Amino acid sequence: MTRVSDSAVDYSRRHLRFGWWSLLCFLTLGFGLELLHGFKVGFYLDVSNETRRLMWTLAHAHGALLGLVHILYALCLRLFPGVAAGSQGPISSSLIGASLLLPGGFFLGGVGFYSGDPGLGILTVPVGATLLVIAVFLIARASAALDGDPGESGQHPGGGKAR
Amino acid sequence: MSQPHRGRRRSQDAAGPVRASRGPLRFAPAVVLLLASTGLGVALAITADRGVPESEVDNRPVQITGDGYVTSETCRSCHPSQYDTWYGSFHRTMTQVATPDTVRADFDGVRVAHTHGRPMWLERDGDEFWANFDDPGWEGPEPERPRIRRQVVMITGSHHQNIYWYATGHDRGLNVLPGVYLIKEQRWASRSAVALHPPSQSVAMLNGHWNAICIVCHTTLGKTAFDTPYRSEPFDLQAIDTTVAEFGIACESCHGPAQAHVEANRNPLRRYGLHRAGGVGDGDPTIVLPTRLDPERSSQACGQCHSVWEFYDRAGERHANRAGLPYRPGDELRDTRFVAQPSVDRDSPEILAFVEDDPEFVRGSFWPDGMVRVSGREYNGLIDSPCFRHATEPDRTLTCFSCHTMHKPAEDRRTVAEWADTYQVSTGMDGNDACLQCHEPMRDDLTAHTRHGAESSGSRCYNCHMPYTSYGLLKTMRSHTISSPTAGETAELDRPNACNLCHLDKTLDWTADRLLEWYGTPVPVLSDDERRVAASLLWILKGDAGLRALTAQAMGWVPAQEASGTSWMVPHLGEALGDRYDAVRFIAARSLRSLPGYASLEYDFVAPEPERVNTAVRVLRAWRASPASRQRREPELLVDADGALRVDAMRRLFDQRDLRRLFLRE
Repeated sequence: MTRVSDSAVDYSRRHLRFGWWSLLCFLTLGFGLELLHGFKVGFYLDVSNETRRLMWTLAHAHGALLGLVHILYALCLRLFPGVAAGSQGPISSSLIGASLLLPGGFFLGGVGFYSGDPGLGILTVPVGATLLVIAVFLIARASAALDGDPGESGQHPGGGKAR
Repeated sequence: MSQPHRGRRRSQDAAGPVRASRGPLRFAPAVVLLLASTGLGVALAITADRGVPESEVDNRPVQITGDGYVTSETCRSCHPSQYDTWYGSFHRTMTQVATPDTVRADFDGVRVAHTHGRPMWLERDGDEFWANFDDPGWEGPEPERPRIRRQVVMITGSHHQNIYWYATGHDRGLNVLPGVYLIKEQRWASRSAVALHPPSQSVAMLNGHWNAICIVCHTTLGKTAFDTPYRSEPFDLQAIDTTVAEFGIACESCHGPAQAHVEANRNPLRRYGLHRAGGVGDGDPTIVLPTRLDPERSSQACGQCHSVWEFYDRAGERHANRAGLPYRPGDELRDTRFVAQPSVDRDSPEILAFVEDDPEFVRGSFWPDGMVRVSGREYNGLIDSPCFRHATEPDRTLTCFSCHTMHKPAEDRRTVAEWADTYQVSTGMDGNDACLQCHEPMRDDLTAHTRHGAESSGSRCYNCHMPYTSYGLLKTMRSHTISSPTAGETAELDRPNACNLCHLDKTLDWTADRLLEWYGTPVPVLSDDERRVAASLLWILKGDAGLRALTAQAMGWVPAQEASGTSWMVPHLGEALGDRYDAVRFIAARSLRSLPGYASLEYDFVAPEPERVNTAVRVLRAWRASPASRQRREPELLVDADGALRVDAMRRLFDQRDLRRLFLRE
């Protein structure tokens, strides 16, 4: 139990750290995109660059939302330390992989593109999306197995040992 | 220890019953809210006013997909940039449904005096446009011509003119409003006044005209769909089910039907394979890119509309009536239609047959040597050009795309509107670079060839080799037959030469001497007048209506004004204000207003004749009283040494005017 709890805390810290940094990164990207709007930069706004605009918007949105998912997941681990006890490793890896490949693929797809088709970087998006689906599925399955209050696994919500 | 237990009990106390009682129902409010908002959204979407669906329109031609055509909206999703520049072009808006967004004229209780017959009344009814006017389609006795009230449903043109089409009330048949709206001038004029058209000849305004004629070039895959040949029986007895794939000249006019292309490229692997191979089109047989066809086929994609052509026979016409024109980009154009080129086929059986049927078939569109003289037929000019005819290397063969582009490139800093307004000329191709693409050696010593200063308008290739000798849309256009100026073309063919279109104050003799001295161009036999009177004055006094229009326009052209001065032009433009042809008067007034001191000239080219003559007299008197009249005392300008206008000479030349009726079929 102690091993599980320690692990949950570790994962929680990991995802909190990753989530906040990820959020910072993609909010900064969003800020950059707003600047491109503000200064009417053709490289981003011209109709000929519509694909780039769409891809980078998607990168910003997916990156920022996935950052929040990481933070949420980290908080869940604190609230329910026993959740998905056996799957925390795969979940964590999948979530981080998705956070890199999904927005990263969108961003790269907008760097170089072919008229209405994004660049080849877009190929990482379906991989990232698959990882995200796997992670969410594992979390959902684990959540379904939960039966009780946050302290169910014998741990305080604050993360202290139950016994 | 106890806290977790307490917590668990609390959890059990609370969660147990809750799970039992709330269970799935705890989400019920959210689900209800979601369903309600979705339902509301769907209801709003369904009930939103989107006008009458195209499939339910029964009083005008309609757009329907089929025959492999998918419309530009489909192209848009994958080719946003190309779609955007096409959307901003006048090709798209060549034909539009009349809506508040597309109608440029004011219809709000407006009376239009200058139309055929009694004044026309215009009115708005919500988003509909209505007109009350004398029925132009009436073919009975003139005194019995009825007054009709009809809905305006479609528009031709959006750049220079709005030509409005009304629903005749019979099937999908259309006819034209007797008035045309001039966009730049923001005024109405009668249908005949906006064409170079004999004043004594009535302009054709026939029921079903749009369905049978205009549709072929102003829409994408237009199907006339008359049950019997057009005008083979009374209009009201014919069934008309005209349809188009798309109004205006859309993507598939130039790229061909795209359904196979769309279906094939739903497969992303195929698309990316093509991208990696160097771009869609290089190896994609499902679509035609005119720029990548050989020079002949490439230009024919434009020539399908920008040419003087006819069906070979009635069978071809009837087939097109049912199924649309059979030509598809990439095909050989002449396989399915006859492209007139009188410079080489004047005596062909086809031309002779057309002339027998319509004696003005050649004269209405071509100069006597077969060079095309009307706008919108640039392909005829291209195929007569040595840069096309004599070219041996595809890369050095003149095509439409040598100078024009149908999609403004992103790196072109012009706005789409600017690019469209300048005839979609490619980046940098509005100057000498267009010709220097092939004639590169001339770049180093241009003035040795042009004999004009490097910055002079005489050193611009276009001005000498593509002079303004074509007419259309109440103005002149550059000839698209690349040629070198000669005095002979003027002396023998009555076509203005490039030199005298700029040096308006010089005689043809002067031009012949220069061309002989500089280029060894043979000197033709010249008349006394051609040796002694400025060529432009011979044209505007003696020439046919087309020549007079070209000359009047040249007098308003800034390079010509700079080269020739302007003070001496006034009496001659003033005289042209009284020309019998509406179009000549219109152009003369515009040029006159470009001269110093005449910008605010009040003159209406369709005003009653006494009023027009009165204005012309006032202009002449004012000029005589001004110092400007004494600036140029040159006999070739018909001004004697005392500064008096040589009216006798003007009258003598005027009496020699070519009075043959001329209708230029722009």
